[in-house]
Amino acid sequence: MTTQIQTTAAETPPTGATPAPAGQPAAAVPEITYQPNVDIRDCGSEVIFDADIPGAQADGIDVTFEDGVLAVQASVPARELPGRPIRQEYGIGNYRRSFRLGEGFDASQISADYRRGVLTIRVPRLAAVRPRKVDVRAG
Amino acid sequence: MTTFRAGFALPLEELRDEMDRLWSSLTAAPPLHGWGVRGDGAAFPAVNVRESDRAITMEAELPGLDTGDVDITVSGEELVLKGKRPAPHQGVEPQASEDGGTVTWHRRERGFGGFERRIPLPTLVDAAGVTARLVDGVLTVTCPKAAEAQPRRVEVRSA
Repeated sequence: MTTQIQTTAAETPPTGATPAPAGQPAAAVPEITYQPNVDIRDCGSEVIFDADIPGAQADGIDVTFEDGVLAVQASVPARELPGRPIRQEYGIGNYRRSFRLGEGFDASQISADYRRGVLTIRVPRLAAVRPRKVDVRAG
Repeated sequence: MTTFRAGFALPLEELRDEMDRLWSSLTAAPPLHGWGVRGDGAAFPAVNVRESDRAITMEAELPGLDTGDVDITVSGEELVLKGKRPAPHQGVEPQASEDGGTVTWHRRERGFGGFERRIPLPTLVDAAGVTARLVDGVLTVTCPKAAEAQPRRVEVRSA
């Protein structure tokens, strides 16, 4: 079986500046959106996604599955250490990434779990459609 | 059996993103193969360090790690972070699958394995007063400065 999961940019703007929502001070909103690193494994009955989203909160994470596209969006609250920076190796921002899965998945059974900064999404497949035998009646 | 449908919504942008990602994962291999997609190939974990009058605070992103997986040592003017990130299949086991439990990986971008990082500190710190918190994959280590390293206000007396 040849399976392929495509990363889709349908809802993913390139990494860079994300305009702050109107009416909010820009400083309160992180301005960068990152693509989280993910592991994706297909276990037959389900596909499991693990995404590194450190610093988020469960209620700030949106997972949607629409038209065969699984989209993850997480808003990360701004956090700042006291004092002046003397070493800056990474930035803090929101996360967004989406994947095109196609059909054959049970959207109502998708579950998402956020623990220790890792988001785990389980997307179960629909029960396989069994071939159906049709009786031919003689007239 | 379901087949994933291939298709790009924005072909050039997606291709560029995926090429960037692939290229970064090739060039950012050590010490944790496959980890450094987001960074520039620097050591893992990436850290941010700030200095205030009273303390030096270090922050690192360690998603997937529990408090017991990280070992923090402060000696003199150096902070050492050691730890191990469990392999990705640990923790979440797939439900029983009909096809013999074979697993196909589509992406393996999150690294795993051991790491060690030595971070020089700009001043002497009070090793006994160091505190660390690990919340939602974000590690914060606060190192109070040693008394002699703290700024001291000198009163000027008039004669």
